[in-house]
Amino acid sequence: MTEQTFSTVHLSQKAKELSKLDGLGVQLWRKRRHLLDTDDLSSDELTTALHAAMLCKEMMKSDGPQALLAEKTVANLFYENSTRTRSSFELAAKRLGATVINVDIASSSVAKGETIIDTGRTLTAMGVDALVQRHNCSGAALQIVREFGEDVQVINAGDGWHAHPSQALLDYFTMWEICKELNGAKIAIVGDITHSRVARSNIALLSRLGADIHLAGPPTLLPDDLSKLGVTVHTQIEAAIENARFIMVLRLQLERQQQGLIPSIGEYKRLYRMDHARLKLAADNCKVFHPGPMNRDLEISNSLADDAKHSLVRVQVQNGVAMRMAILYLLLSSR
Amino acid sequence: MTRKILIKNGLLIDTLEQKETKEDLRLADGEIIERGSGLKAAQDEEVIDAHACWVSPGLVDIHTHMRDLAQKDKEDLHSGSKAAAAGGFTTVVAMANTEPVLDSSNTLSLYLQKIASQAVIEVLPVAAVTKGLLGEELTNMVELAQLGAVAFSDDGKPVQNLVVLRRALQYVKMTGKVIISHAEDLNLAGGGCMHEGLMSTKLGLPGITSASETVAVARELEIVRLTESPYHFTHISCAASLDLIRRAQAEGLPVTVDVTPHHLSLTVDSLENYDTKLKMNPPLRTGKDRAALIEAIKDGTISAIATDHAPHSGLEKSRSFTEAPFGITGLETAFSVCYSELVLAKHIDRLKLLTLMTSGPAQVLDLQTPSLRPGARANICIIDPNYQWTYEAEEGYSRAHNSPWDKKELSGKVLCTIFKGQIVFQASQLAGRH
Repeated sequence: MTEQTFSTVHLSQKAKELSKLDGLGVQLWRKRRHLLDTDDLSSDELTTALHAAMLCKEMMKSDGPQALLAEKTVANLFYENSTRTRSSFELAAKRLGATVINVDIASSSVAKGETIIDTGRTLTAMGVDALVQRHNCSGAALQIVREFGEDVQVINAGDGWHAHPSQALLDYFTMWEICKELNGAKIAIVGDITHSRVARSNIALLSRLGADIHLAGPPTLLPDDLSKLGVTVHTQIEAAIENARFIMVLRLQLERQQQGLIPSIGEYKRLYRMDHARLKLAADNCKVFHPGPMNRDLEISNSLADDAKHSLVRVQVQNGVAMRMAILYLLLSSR
Repeated sequence: MTRKILIKNGLLIDTLEQKETKEDLRLADGEIIERGSGLKAAQDEEVIDAHACWVSPGLVDIHTHMRDLAQKDKEDLHSGSKAAAAGGFTTVVAMANTEPVLDSSNTLSLYLQKIASQAVIEVLPVAAVTKGLLGEELTNMVELAQLGAVAFSDDGKPVQNLVVLRRALQYVKMTGKVIISHAEDLNLAGGGCMHEGLMSTKLGLPGITSASETVAVARELEIVRLTESPYHFTHISCAASLDLIRRAQAEGLPVTVDVTPHHLSLTVDSLENYDTKLKMNPPLRTGKDRAALIEAIKDGTISAIATDHAPHSGLEKSRSFTEAPFGITGLETAFSVCYSELVLAKHIDRLKLLTLMTSGPAQVLDLQTPSLRPGARANICIIDPNYQWTYEAEEGYSRAHNSPWDKKELSGKVLCTIFKGQIVFQASQLAGRH
């Protein structure tokens, strides 16, 4: 109790505001313990996440690290390389005063016989409060929750092709800053849908908000029964982006060509690259998203990527830290 | 020690004669010696009271993986045969994809020795179609059949090259044995780990299209037409494959089909939680496929139920869904699962179910058909159809615990299994009946 009072005294105005957030959404976030995907987030939780992210973004501008999670330890456990998501979570945790450890394990170097359960068990035994896990297998985060969910809080930082909830939430936050009501808004997601956890988590989140989601990609990169997810599926990018309010461009992994899923990079560029010419088809105030890292001039033209009038790539990165602060705070702060 | 056993008050279900009678059975010297009403117990006889129970010929499973050899961590012939006995089986057919593969007389002889010394029921080995299951060179089929192989199969690594398959089907005629097909086009299956469809799209997992099975069935049927050799399709999972086989059977092609308890009872919708105990190949398909399998049982296209009992260690199954191996155990739960899904659900009657688990599979491979006639081998299973129980894989006999029915409540239970006149399994529930 005294500790709480002591730390509150040293908090900035915005941090105090964050610590005083209350209501059903805050309670639901604390109750959920884990963040695995966007499909089970209630509207109260979404509203709370936006509010918290807004405060965190202001804290980022004016304040140094705040002792909101000073007693917490967060482990970043990345089995797959990811400079930006890992750095984003690391910064977010540090800005909230948490202790952060980074455990980098390239999948290839995990010794045969060692499983993610072993590693999870080790970190849980060390008394880590939260595991931020990225793994190349779909379902890996759920697996950790099933084994250790009672002992450690799990934040899915990307599992295989399945889910990337913090990315979807930061994308939502970025859209919300521009357009408060997404019900009926046309949003296009373009590229390799099959292998994209970003697409899946965004579809799950944005479709619940009533957005009119249009997907476009070559048929070989559109998974089976996609239209049953409540989205409109196109093979021509033009149909998807026509009059779109937002366009999300997905990264194309270069190995898709070697796997025979597309005939050539050249053909892909010709058919799906987002550029200023194609942008003319979209709504006048259309904004373009990319989860990064970009293949410049492959899925997005160099000039569009850097065109701050339309491209929100840099804002996404800033908002990424803010939203991850919000997620960590809402899940880990105890009261 | 030979025991004499009198089974009283049960309902005898003889799947060979296709008859149900309320009679008693007397067993001695490994055989059934008498069948009749109100048999009196002799002094030296053990009496089993089977009132309210069914007395069936011992069950037959023509698709199991008994492992052993270099894979004793998954299962060995003792644990696997004990699990089979607990499930009411007195004969199981063991697949050739052991480590090393059952593709030579040396390995097969060793395996047969192990069976003789360790198995508590009859275990009949299948030999590989091609050396090392590589799909290239044929094994010495005649020699292997003479040694004791009851069928040939490259189950797990199906023959892809149709020239090789054609030669195998021509050559196997000299043995009089059947080739068992795991029908799958490996290119089309392409590294998938579950049925391709809405659920794989939601879960972000690579799918296995139904076409990978149906395409293989279609082309293999044409090789059967060409060679006129008997051919058995195991663990068929798709409606479209059944349509092709049904048509081929109508045309007189010598093809038979079995189905697993899991494809009859579960669908792809149960995969929502990435449970590796639901990962097997062929994968769980849609509700429509499941309905088609049940329909094919009713119309006789499918003549056998086979478990594809595939034990794996807990460590292997604790990997992520994409990395964990295919396969689930099934011997201890097969009867109960099929009883619920087929008989209690009123698709077929009990006689038909037991036929699919005894004479049906035996006839597919031309094995000795089990029966309850005097003079027949005393291979018997006693079932309490009204018994509700909870399966605990850890407390079961299989060394592996990768069962989707672990901790699930099941209806109907095998209480006792008798192999060649010896009790090889009895449930504690039977104790009060002696």
